[in-house]
Amino acid sequence: MRGQRRAPLLGLLLAALAALFVLSLLSGRVWLSAAQVWDALRSPSDQLPSLIVRELRLPRAVLACLVGATLGLAGAVLQGLTRNPLAEPGLLGVSSGAALGAVLAIYTGLATALPLATPVLGLLGAFAAALLTLTLGRGGGVLVLILAGAAVSGLMLAGTALALNLAPNPYAAYEISMWLLGSLADKSWDHVLLAAPFIVAGLLLLASTGRALDALGLGEVQAESLGIDLARVRAVVLVGTALSVGAATSVTGAIGFIGLLAPHLVRPFVGHEPRQVLLPAALAGALLLLAADIGTRLLPFEQELKLGVLTGLTGTPFFLWLVLRLRRVAP
Amino acid sequence: MSFPIGPAHSVSRGAGALIAAAACLLLALPGGAGAQEPPRRILSLNLCADQLLLALLPPERIVSLTWLSRSEGDPDLVPLARRIAANHGTAEEVLAAQPDLVIAGTYTTSATRRLLARTATPLLELPAVQDWAGIRRVTRQVARAVGAEARGAALLSQMDATLAALARTRPADPVRVISWGGGGSDVPGRDTLFDQILTAAGGENLGAPLAGRASVDLEQLLQARPEVLMRGSAYAAMPAVRNQAAAHRLIQRLYPQAQLTYPEALYGCGVPKAAQAALALRAQLLAARAARGPR
Repeated sequence: MRGQRRAPLLGLLLAALAALFVLSLLSGRVWLSAAQVWDALRSPSDQLPSLIVRELRLPRAVLACLVGATLGLAGAVLQGLTRNPLAEPGLLGVSSGAALGAVLAIYTGLATALPLATPVLGLLGAFAAALLTLTLGRGGGVLVLILAGAAVSGLMLAGTALALNLAPNPYAAYEISMWLLGSLADKSWDHVLLAAPFIVAGLLLLASTGRALDALGLGEVQAESLGIDLARVRAVVLVGTALSVGAATSVTGAIGFIGLLAPHLVRPFVGHEPRQVLLPAALAGALLLLAADIGTRLLPFEQELKLGVLTGLTGTPFFLWLVLRLRRVAP
Repeated sequence: MSFPIGPAHSVSRGAGALIAAAACLLLALPGGAGAQEPPRRILSLNLCADQLLLALLPPERIVSLTWLSRSEGDPDLVPLARRIAANHGTAEEVLAAQPDLVIAGTYTTSATRRLLARTATPLLELPAVQDWAGIRRVTRQVARAVGAEARGAALLSQMDATLAALARTRPADPVRVISWGGGGSDVPGRDTLFDQILTAAGGENLGAPLAGRASVDLEQLLQARPEVLMRGSAYAAMPAVRNQAAAHRLIQRLYPQAQLTYPEALYGCGVPKAAQAALALRAQLLAARAARGPR
């Protein structure tokens, strides 16, 4: 029965994603008509519409889909693994770890010498943070895990502040506080090519954990009796999250709430089995980030809005609603 | 603690404040300070004041300059600035140096201001400059305050001669230029010294209509169709996020030989040498246009 409900949902999500993708190609500070965008897509040239669509808006939309899917899927997997509705890459310190790695790469000049340094250090930071959180929080139940995540987040943020303090460039603090809010503005295919391999590898790893997460839903002991190697599952989730979220964060900055929001948005339609949630959550994440990115361009502010601002503003009310609902459901 | 000013000064605190106020008044009045002995020990708390002092005075009359002048000043003056003591703008440094005159920017903190008043040290506030008239005004003001009127006048007449020569040979078709530092950074608008220097050099500031907006993105940059991209030099060599935005592959492909960096101390400070900066820029703009070929 659930499979029957899932197919139309997937179709709907894909259709919405395609529509938003087109809208994303149409929106920007320079007005281009649909016909101009279509021409630009079909034939490359050095004309303004072609340059804007092919070199600016297309990589931006592709990156939004990749990063959004990463956050949505990582959120769903982490919520399944921890059996906690609040889990997401940001809450477990992974995003701030990735940000620390990226900041180190940028302000030591490593990124200038070696473009690959930013995603690699970003995912190393994410890996370190995730490892630390899972080690500190092991065996203590979900509450301890969340607390450990908060502690690791704090540590990583302090490390970022220290790196900025010591950065030779006096603009560093301002720049990075903006950068940390997340943005897809002025991204190029270079960014896509840098991040995509890591993101895709991480997504595949995360997606492979579906069956184990379903078994974990019954409880750790039950899962082990079903032949699930828990240590292995944790390791796969750890590496998958670090790879995908680390690479995504190092290119776009830390974008909050999408990892939390996306799984909850699709759960009412597909039920609570973690495996059923994974693919729709990834699509919903891509959808949310694409919509937020279009919002940053269409809302009439002089300064381009940062993604983190928009996702935070829309995500917080949802978070509150989630808290209230949880209180009602679990007396 | 080894504060050079001791109890002797704090006794006459009120009198010191009065003297300082009188000194400031004197400096502000045209010709007022002329009758007095010019200050021998001058301290600067402002990068732009550094540039003016280096142009007007022999180094031995400068007690210290801001540490910024050692890296972010006019590149031609950096070696000279490195031979003079540097300050970081702290009150302790100012007190220890015992200057006869302190030159600061408009935004110098009130704490420093109060302290200078207590030690009876005259303070000259350097206003921000947005055009050639402003350069003439401020250069004369500082030259008078430090007793270097003749040098100041010579620098200004040199500036006016350079500007006149530039105006005579202005290209008929101005070079289309935008100054852009990468994602999220400001572009200089119409009422900036940058705009004046660029215009004198024979360029057209395409950023002017966009400058009201807080940021200019790549789409807008491309739409403006500049021939040359310019970029402030401040901290350009130090790693930063904005450098990555400016390194966008589209920029590198479309403007391989048409990216100029300019020393911000020369383009933002308001020194007579700005005319020479315009002269150098004229040559760079025309060379960039020639390298780009007809489009």
